[in-house]
Amino acid sequence: MSSRPSPRVNEINRPFWEACNDGKLVLQRCLSSKCAQFVYYPRVCCPHCGGGDLQWTEVSGRGRILSYTAVHRPQHESFYPEAPIQFIAVSLNEGPLMYSRLLELSSDDGDVLDRAVQVVFVDHGNGDKVPFFKLVRD
Amino acid sequence: MTAKDYSGVYVVGAGQTTYEKGATSSVHRVLYEALRAGLDSAQLGWKQVDGLAVTAFVLPPDNVTVLAEHFGLSPRWLFQGLYGGASGIVSMLHAARAIQAGDADIVACVTADVFDTARHNEMLDHFNAPVRDYMAPFGFGGANGTFALHTRLYMERFAAMREDFGKLCIAQRENALLNPNALFKKPLTMDEYLNARVIAEPLGLFDCVMPCTGGDCVILASEKVTEKLDVPPVRILGGGEWHNYPGDDIYTLRAGWEKFSDRMYEQARYGPDDMQFAQLYDDYPVMEFIQLEGLQITPYGETPAFIRETDTTVRGTFPINTGGGQLSAGQAGASGGMIGVVEGVLQLRGEAGERQVPCQRGLVSGYGMVAYGRGLSCSAAVLGTE
Repeated sequence: MSSRPSPRVNEINRPFWEACNDGKLVLQRCLSSKCAQFVYYPRVCCPHCGGGDLQWTEVSGRGRILSYTAVHRPQHESFYPEAPIQFIAVSLNEGPLMYSRLLELSSDDGDVLDRAVQVVFVDHGNGDKVPFFKLVRD
Repeated sequence: MTAKDYSGVYVVGAGQTTYEKGATSSVHRVLYEALRAGLDSAQLGWKQVDGLAVTAFVLPPDNVTVLAEHFGLSPRWLFQGLYGGASGIVSMLHAARAIQAGDADIVACVTADVFDTARHNEMLDHFNAPVRDYMAPFGFGGANGTFALHTRLYMERFAAMREDFGKLCIAQRENALLNPNALFKKPLTMDEYLNARVIAEPLGLFDCVMPCTGGDCVILASEKVTEKLDVPPVRILGGGEWHNYPGDDIYTLRAGWEKFSDRMYEQARYGPDDMQFAQLYDDYPVMEFIQLEGLQITPYGETPAFIRETDTTVRGTFPINTGGGQLSAGQAGASGGMIGVVEGVLQLRGEAGERQVPCQRGLVSGYGMVAYGRGLSCSAAVLGTE
């Protein structure tokens, strides 16, 4: 079995993945006062205004599920034992959209569309952590 | 400002290789066979090609320039498609501009790929940095998982049913049964569609394309060249492309066609109601719904009602994907962006055999370059005989 698809850490995204290993979710934020928007995925400039000054900022790790699928046929064999994979698009409270996995879903949870979620950091199998999400249960 | 039209340029040939299941050949050979088929259709010779446009995902480490050498061609104009399934039509439109400008007289626009499911998945895991770094590590399910999210939202927002997508898939299968080159040879029933193996909820097996081997080609020529040919010329009446739209929202359930379709119809001097067929990019049925809306065949969000009321087979009032499309003919990678163009040209030349529809003009459309959560590129053209 070839190894699990892993993010390639580079000069653009290193602070993001290092923060994940420290259990923190960080996003870039545009330093232009007229823009000040958050950015994800990691970029070299702000895609909202074109500004070149971005600052890594710790964020809440909270959001809501914008769309959801259970992937019964993952694209890589390393995921087969865990299928179906609960793959989600999360609208983070700070604005950006993040793709991730929803963990600990039970059959009592019903439809998860629009439900609030909280980030958790999980070992990717290579010692590095990746951000997954769990439902916020009140 | 209305862009200049595409007058003085003709599509003089269209060719397709045999489509085959699995990765059965080298991409160079399939590109060769597609180009040969296109030139035969145009009654043009190998060395007459002075412009070459190529799109093929598995061509690297070679590229269009190295391919020209491999083929023994010395073109004065080259293009390589980097827009995924939008590339076929983009290459045709860019080639038309080059011919208008006098930079080439005979341009071959060729696409091909050599895929099975394993190779397709492997490619997609590394398709670009956003996919590799921010989607694949989460077990996203490839394009299936990506478009499952769009399908789910489309159903939620517009009260679409799985049966609506199913009806379109079933109609395309009916069309495919009249296309000897389509890989799917058996009719599809609604029961089979609804109860098929789940791939990525709500998508089942028949919402997803089968990666395969195949190639497609259209030949464009200047008026001077076309005058000397004894082939039925097809014109590009209008066209356009758009990329990364809207830039800041992945889930508007639009993809950019609405940004240029007004201009495209103005160029064509025909409106959406005048279109007699649509050859849509059908990686997933939900994208066909979104295309029909962007191309103004249906109002935004109202495609489910249109599909329920309309026979989209070749016998129907608005035929869609008259050769079966990628969903029923097979998806030969980047050739998915040209299969509909070739089908449209064959229809307009009256060469579509048992699946021929009466037509003087119709739509062709492309979509692709799946990156962060969606395809980034869309393209379309109106083709016609007058």
